Amino acid sequence: MSSHERHSSGLALRLYLIASGVTAVAAVGVAVRRSPAGREPPPAPLAVQLVAAPGEPIRAEAQVFRTTPAMLAIEPKARRERSAHPRTLSTVRFLRAYPGAPPRIPHPLTADEFRTDACKTCHERGGFSLRFSAYVPLTPHPERGICLQCHVGVDSVIGAAVPDPNPNARCPQCHGPSGGTPRPEARVTWPTTAWPQLPRLTPDRDPPPIPHDLQFRENCLTCHAGPAAVLEIRTTHPERANCRQCHVRLDPAAGNFTRPVNDVAVGAGDAP
Amino acid sequence: MTRVDRRTFLKGVGVLSAATAATAVFPTVVLPANVALPRENQAGPVWKRAPCRLCGVGCGLLVGIESGRAVAVKGDPDSPVSKGLACVKGYNSVQALNGSDRIRRAMVRRDGVLVEVPLSEALDLVARKLRETAQQHGKDSVAIYGSAQWTIPDAYVASKLFKGALGTNNIETSTRLYGASAMTGLLSSFGLDGAIGCYEDVDHADVFVLWDTNLAETDPVLFSRMLDRKRANAAVRIIDVTTRTTRTSYASDHSLLHVPHTGPVIANGICYEIIARKWVHHEFVDQHVAFKRGRTGLGDGLADDALVTDEAGDATWDEYVAFLADYEPARAQEVSGLPAASIRWLASIYGDPLRKVMSVWGKDVNQDVRGTWMNNLLYNIHLLVGKVASPGNSPFCTTGQPRGGSAVHDAGTLTQTLPRGVVQNEEDRRRAADIWGVPLERIDPKPAAPALGMFRRLERGDIRFLWILATDPMVSLPNLDRYRRAATHEDRFIVVSEAYPTPTTDVADVVLPAAMWLEREGIYANDERRVQYFDRLLAPPGDATSDAWQMIEVARRLGFETLFPYDPRRHVEQIWEEYGRFHAEPPSALPPIAELRAQPGVQWPYVAGRETRWRYNPAQDPAADAARGTFDFYGHPDHRAWIWLRPYEPPAESPDRAYPFWLTTGAVLEHWGAGSMTQRIEILHRALPHSYVELNHDDARDLGIRNRETVRLVSRRGSLELEARIDYRSQPPHGQVFVPSFDEARLVNRLTLDACCPLSGQPDAGKCAVRVERLPARSGA
Repeated sequence: MSSHERHSSGLALRLYLIASGVTAVAAVGVAVRRSPAGREPPPAPLAVQLVAAPGEPIRAEAQVFRTTPAMLAIEPKARRERSAHPRTLSTVRFLRAYPGAPPRIPHPLTADEFRTDACKTCHERGGFSLRFSAYVPLTPHPERGICLQCHVGVDSVIGAAVPDPNPNARCPQCHGPSGGTPRPEARVTWPTTAWPQLPRLTPDRDPPPIPHDLQFRENCLTCHAGPAAVLEIRTTHPERANCRQCHVRLDPAAGNFTRPVNDVAVGAGDAP
Repeated sequence: MTRVDRRTFLKGVGVLSAATAATAVFPTVVLPANVALPRENQAGPVWKRAPCRLCGVGCGLLVGIESGRAVAVKGDPDSPVSKGLACVKGYNSVQALNGSDRIRRAMVRRDGVLVEVPLSEALDLVARKLRETAQQHGKDSVAIYGSAQWTIPDAYVASKLFKGALGTNNIETSTRLYGASAMTGLLSSFGLDGAIGCYEDVDHADVFVLWDTNLAETDPVLFSRMLDRKRANAAVRIIDVTTRTTRTSYASDHSLLHVPHTGPVIANGICYEIIARKWVHHEFVDQHVAFKRGRTGLGDGLADDALVTDEAGDATWDEYVAFLADYEPARAQEVSGLPAASIRWLASIYGDPLRKVMSVWGKDVNQDVRGTWMNNLLYNIHLLVGKVASPGNSPFCTTGQPRGGSAVHDAGTLTQTLPRGVVQNEEDRRRAADIWGVPLERIDPKPAAPALGMFRRLERGDIRFLWILATDPMVSLPNLDRYRRAATHEDRFIVVSEAYPTPTTDVADVVLPAAMWLEREGIYANDERRVQYFDRLLAPPGDATSDAWQMIEVARRLGFETLFPYDPRRHVEQIWEEYGRFHAEPPSALPPIAELRAQPGVQWPYVAGRETRWRYNPAQDPAADAARGTFDFYGHPDHRAWIWLRPYEPPAESPDRAYPFWLTTGAVLEHWGAGSMTQRIEILHRALPHSYVELNHDDARDLGIRNRETVRLVSRRGSLELEARIDYRSQPPHGQVFVPSFDEARLVNRLTLDACCPLSGQPDAGKCAVRVERLPARSGA
């Protein structure tokens, strides 16, 4: 624990696609960097870093998408580059009013999509979206009926008759017309509770517990695996699909279990 | 933020087992005391139960409280209403408490400007003005206009103060605007207020017929429950009978368009067809139904202040059949625009003995000059086929307000009602006088005027002191300019209790800072008679106090200390106990507060530890007599539900050559009511920052109007410029436009008509005739 050594290793990253049930495997190097113990954790991304550079093929994902040529809004051969705008923890936080809040919709919607609640066309099955040059994040609760009941967008980018062909059309929504860091007025300024902290991943540690609520997010792999998963929280072992076999949610109210040696209240008249 | 330095951490590590070491980076773990953790690593928010207040569904929320702030929200999985789900309003609801322009201090208008004063000074002034006005102009010159969002203790105190202490029936709430026809509909058809069925009907029904209600936006979690039901059983159908194509239409299996206000023709047409095809449940009708004829030609409430009393005359089955002859589906088609085949098909669904049907309607049905009648007619359909008061067979009215509609009788905050019963009934008056400890003569047996009438009396000067609490009539009243002039008339004294500046505080002489949801204790019921409790979880800002406590303070200043002996910390409990004395008997028995605190809502009637899902059903309802058969409609003295012969009568205003479009108004998902809370929630405001007018695609093309162009709507009352939206979130049919009503900067109620249902007094505020004008091109536009 007190070691300062740098610890790197290549791990096999397996990808698991829930929608098709197809599992494809490819070796993707993962560098794990241990932080000095007890210090402020290094800034995100913390532990897992994909070796695949932007623009480089991810062979595993190419395999996966070859099997589903009929997917709507998705390029069958899958452009084999990373998303133009890979999702990170900071984008995750940017889109949520508080930890656990339903995220806002970060992209424009056509009027038809807005009216008919067409989100699941893409977000139930995933894949690569040409329209946004990005892998589509999956919803962990595709069984829910009306997406727009909880997820809302921004009025100014809703209602075009046809999708904007420019993949960068959505950038100003967060970054403003001249780019740069997200505009302050686009940020949720509401004071809220702290975000769950990331576990420091090391091979000799126990499986970390689950740091967030599971309500409507019981399917771990939708967010923690696959090409659209947020970089910092992508699991190294998606093939072990029963996540909660090792990772548990702790009851915040529970203390440590102890018992006095001489507990007179129990068994006091029971002695033979 | 405290930081863990390496030494401290190592010291801590020494005493930790390997297992707990892994958890040291997580927020929820108890650690040895000598390990100081960053704040983020300490236990997260404490989750407290509170029902959502941002519509009538009453979803269970868990609110995360941390460092004295509400920091997060999640759905309460234990809530039988929402089962863990919420909508975007609920998830973001707590942010409505944090607006930067929150009213923290009392204010008094001096030289036209509101200036802050100490709260006690403002309360002194309110009490003095109230007393002086009543002394100079009589007890009926003072009035109170409260809110459908009031908690039951707020409403109870208002009723006791005005009816019991001051002896005037000048008490109304915005409930009148949203749910009054639901109440009169239930009273006339079943004899008692309060929903017959409950949300659990959704889990049993085979078909949902939605009457003019965009549930996907107005009651999203209830609608989600219907979609869940449909997912669980592929045979389930959702049928949307509507005046415009909405998100609900797209999510439904069938959508049937008809002309606004013509619901009665369709409902009678369905009954015609049910009888013609011999689908009537004769056994049920013979045993449990009586036929009644009421007054007709009631007018449109434009001229009269007061409520009209109906007179029920007996009718026979044959008379009913003869009455329906005018509504043969082909003739119904001519008026309603709904094809006869669709009417016959709807009848076949209601008439199918193998399918359980739930009808749902809401504000758009109730806000009509014949709102009460349409409620009766929808009950008629269910009564003809015996599909009522049993799981899945349910005529059900939603009203979009935390305690509107089905719970409107709570605490007697309408001019004619008492905490139980009505002022006209001596027994009810006597009960109230006994419990309140006031002389019987104090309670005036004559109702004053419903909401619009109250503001008309303010206009005429009959009312000179008006206290408005927790509602925004200067946004929500129809024909708004008229009532705004009335409120700003010289020699009228307006007190407003509010949390934020609104168009209503603009007309106030005194503004009192109001504590909001979570900042005070409260109790209210939802649409399914479920009473829900929330604790005081946060400190209100500045001098803000609950509406109930403001009224108690004023009552004490008026010399009514003995009537309001409540303890500041226990008053909610004390008031609930006192109110419970009104409802001690089975038909409306209420749960004790301990039960409310322990459970996520309890449905009344609550007798012997059991709540009631379906009323009038002896298997469920302790007040129903099993000796009378499968049902006992004990609300009427004859123990029968009444089928009313209610004809179609034309609307107060319809499109003509000068004003060729129907304007309909309503709610959108992101905003609630007059928007004073939801517009201050950043996410919701950015999702929908302002109102707009939705046009039919072809109409827009004919008028040369492009998407997002500014156009002008003109009615006989006024005009309004709005951004045009074409094929946006809903699609009005040809000849119709739609405007959301939440936006105080674009007051659509300046256009609407102040007609009302004469039986319920509910304004027909949701529709009128307008014309659409293109604006001349402006430079820079």
